[in-house]
Amino acid sequence: MTAAQRRVTLVCLIALLMLASRPAAAYLNLSEDVRGQVVRLKWNTTPRWFASNRSIPRVSASDFQAAVARAFATWQAVPTASLSLQFVGFTSAAPFEDDGISVLGFESRPELERVLGATDFVIDTVTGEIVESDIFFNSAFEWSVAPGGTSAAFDLQSVATHEIGHFLGLGHSALGETETNPEGGRRVLASGAVMFPIAFGRGNTADRELQPDDIAGISDLYPASAFRARTGVLRGRVRRNGQPVFGAHVIAFNPATGESIGGFALGADGDFQIAGLTPGPHVVRVEPLDDADVESFFDRGVDTNFAVTFYERLFVAPAGGVGEHIDVGVRPK
Amino acid sequence: MIRRLLIGAACCCNLVAATVDAQTSTVQTGRIEVAGGGGLFSGGQLGNSDASLRANALTPAPYRLFTTTSSFATTPLVEGRVSVAVSRRLAVEGRFGFSRPELRTSISADAEAGNSITAVERIDRYMIDGGVTFTLDDLRWGELVPYAAGGVGYLRELHEGQMLIQQGHSYHVGGGVRRRLFVHDRRVVKSGGVRGDVRVYLLSGGAAFDTATHARVAVSGSFFVGF
Repeated sequence: MTAAQRRVTLVCLIALLMLASRPAAAYLNLSEDVRGQVVRLKWNTTPRWFASNRSIPRVSASDFQAAVARAFATWQAVPTASLSLQFVGFTSAAPFEDDGISVLGFESRPELERVLGATDFVIDTVTGEIVESDIFFNSAFEWSVAPGGTSAAFDLQSVATHEIGHFLGLGHSALGETETNPEGGRRVLASGAVMFPIAFGRGNTADRELQPDDIAGISDLYPASAFRARTGVLRGRVRRNGQPVFGAHVIAFNPATGESIGGFALGADGDFQIAGLTPGPHVVRVEPLDDADVESFFDRGVDTNFAVTFYERLFVAPAGGVGEHIDVGVRPK
Repeated sequence: MIRRLLIGAACCCNLVAATVDAQTSTVQTGRIEVAGGGGLFSGGQLGNSDASLRANALTPAPYRLFTTTSSFATTPLVEGRVSVAVSRRLAVEGRFGFSRPELRTSISADAEAGNSITAVERIDRYMIDGGVTFTLDDLRWGELVPYAAGGVGYLRELHEGQMLIQQGHSYHVGGGVRRRLFVHDRRVVKSGGVRGDVRVYLLSGGAAFDTATHARVAVSGSFFVGF
């Protein structure tokens, strides 16, 4: 690791049942402050990845590699994104080592009782380019690579799909719903993105398939040539009593397609931007991330003192370019 | 009284009608007729759509975050027509119509008690269609001469802000009545009158949220002059 490179650790996927979280919306790009500029983290060269040669019960090293390769292929198959990924081979190196190679593999971390997996990065602190990324899967849990899943185990391919989203530079989406458990904590009821921070239950393989929010996010980060021309961008700001609302979650819902894609108001003026919208009218919904695990999304607090609000006009996403700027006024709770 | 009002209306079109001639339905082949008027274009439902999330269950039913119901509102319509008689009864007709319906999406049943509202936008709807009209002389009622019409057309809808154009097509059937108010065989403007139209349009594409065909009704009245 050179002086211009820095390791950034992002714990990404947290096991069910206990995490305090609230529904919200949106894909989120990982970013870093580079010399005073916020730079989106992404690969500028073809990511080359190694699979650990460690096996665990019911998952051989080759089974692991095959499941992870399918997860990579899922992202690579997004037609509106331009992604090139390369599997290099098996390695005895472990994830999260400063070895200059990107390694995915199992690690036993029983002390991380809610963490199914995590991704970390080495980035170039001058350009924001990702130069290495490792993913570990916590072998303290039961895992499955069965085509239809296994009821007692977490689906490796689903979790890998989520972690590879981070590997490529996506942060967490907050598009999901949770509920309080009678015995404490919360469980996820539903999610609108593979990149939602809380995993589905054992045996569930649904997150092998990307959702519109994931597709918009990866396409915005690695756009194919037609992406910008065929989709529209929503820009606006969220304000309460004329003051910007930091961290408000904004969903753009297309009634024609049923797609929900979101963004966060992160600008100094409560500005937000959502790219990848299918052309046509959209319903715009703004909600607070009030009792969420905010640290899963941002490294600072967010403003949650407002009620869920729908914008009174339909926003029309153009086919290419940016639609009319909107101002959403929210009411205090 | 009715006749006096109709004469007044004709004068508004800068037509000088010294007398109102006896109604005749016969038209010379090749005669051109131009009409302009207005009316109403009916609204209609565009259907329901839920903002759904993937449920955390092995056999998941989608989890509804909120639901929407969309519709077009009934809107005023302006239109112009040009027709050419190809026989005594049959004419080929081209029509241009413009209306500005409101697209309304009602939002309700939010999972987090969000406010129920109706979000709206204004659509600029242009319709260009062509077809035929067939005069039904046998069914004439006094000076009112009915006719049947049918045709196909092109639909162009511009969303608010003019940032998105959506295209579609239309089929229509309908009919109406005409009443000739004057005839001048030796002038440039050889005839004039009023007509009323009722048409059922089957629209597909455009700003509709699906690929289905939606039925709409247009009711209009026009002044026409023949050359």
